[in-house]
Amino acid sequence: MTRPSDLKPREDESPGTPPDAYAVGAPLPDMPFSLTPEIVEEYMTAVDADPALYVVDGRQAAPPNVLAVYLLAILYRGYPPTQGIILTDVSWRFRHPIWADETTEVVGSGRVTERFERRGKHFIRWRGDFTRDDGVALASAVNTMYVPAERFEKR
Amino acid sequence: MTLKREIDMTQPMIDRYGRINGDNDIIHYDHDYAVARGFRGTLNHGMMTLGYMADMGARTFGADWLYGGELTVKWIDPVCPGDRLTIEADDDAITATVQTGLAATGRIGLAKDK
Repeated sequence: MTRPSDLKPREDESPGTPPDAYAVGAPLPDMPFSLTPEIVEEYMTAVDADPALYVVDGRQAAPPNVLAVYLLAILYRGYPPTQGIILTDVSWRFRHPIWADETTEVVGSGRVTERFERRGKHFIRWRGDFTRDDGVALASAVNTMYVPAERFEKR
Repeated sequence: MTLKREIDMTQPMIDRYGRINGDNDIIHYDHDYAVARGFRGTLNHGMMTLGYMADMGARTFGADWLYGGELTVKWIDPVCPGDRLTIEADDDAITATVQTGLAATGRIGLAKDK
């Protein structure tokens, strides 16, 4: 079992990453993890998901958005987070069921696609992809977040 | 057809999501810090609200959702403990509202190349 906390650097473990340090286009390190039935069950409890909605031909699947708890780890392993990051939007595309009755070996990957400033605030946009270790694409997401710069500017 | 769901947000629910989400940003846990930053209280995780919204995609599209669902969410305002979070899906439009207004808005659908 790989819990997201096993993968995700904690905010303020390090000084964090200033907005201008996010490198557009550079691949993020691959992030392999094991998505277990226990994680799926814990996630479904946390978002009060109805299991009956995720049955395919009699087999229990996970809500595909269970991958949301792993998404930011892909980015944060390349760019350690600072306190105060705020997510502004995300677009998900789900591609294949994640079965809830077996452990799925997943590889997360991604890259920063854009860095921009709006009304004096710094934002980054990046893409994360989740693929089974046998190559089956599970889901992808494009996320935009506000990254505070103030703490770095005071140094 | 409009689908609707209501969730009464509590700090223990935010804490539970935080445990599975694995982060420790104190904006989700420290009321005084959150208020000092100008919020009404601690914030739930945006992806937690997304989890409720995504459920509407599964309700609408069934198993197809797992093979080609598309979900876009834009977070607008925070959801805090004590809020009644209402999720509504009307065709492809989906909203999350609390008593102070829109918390998030978005769209659900199936990919054209599914």
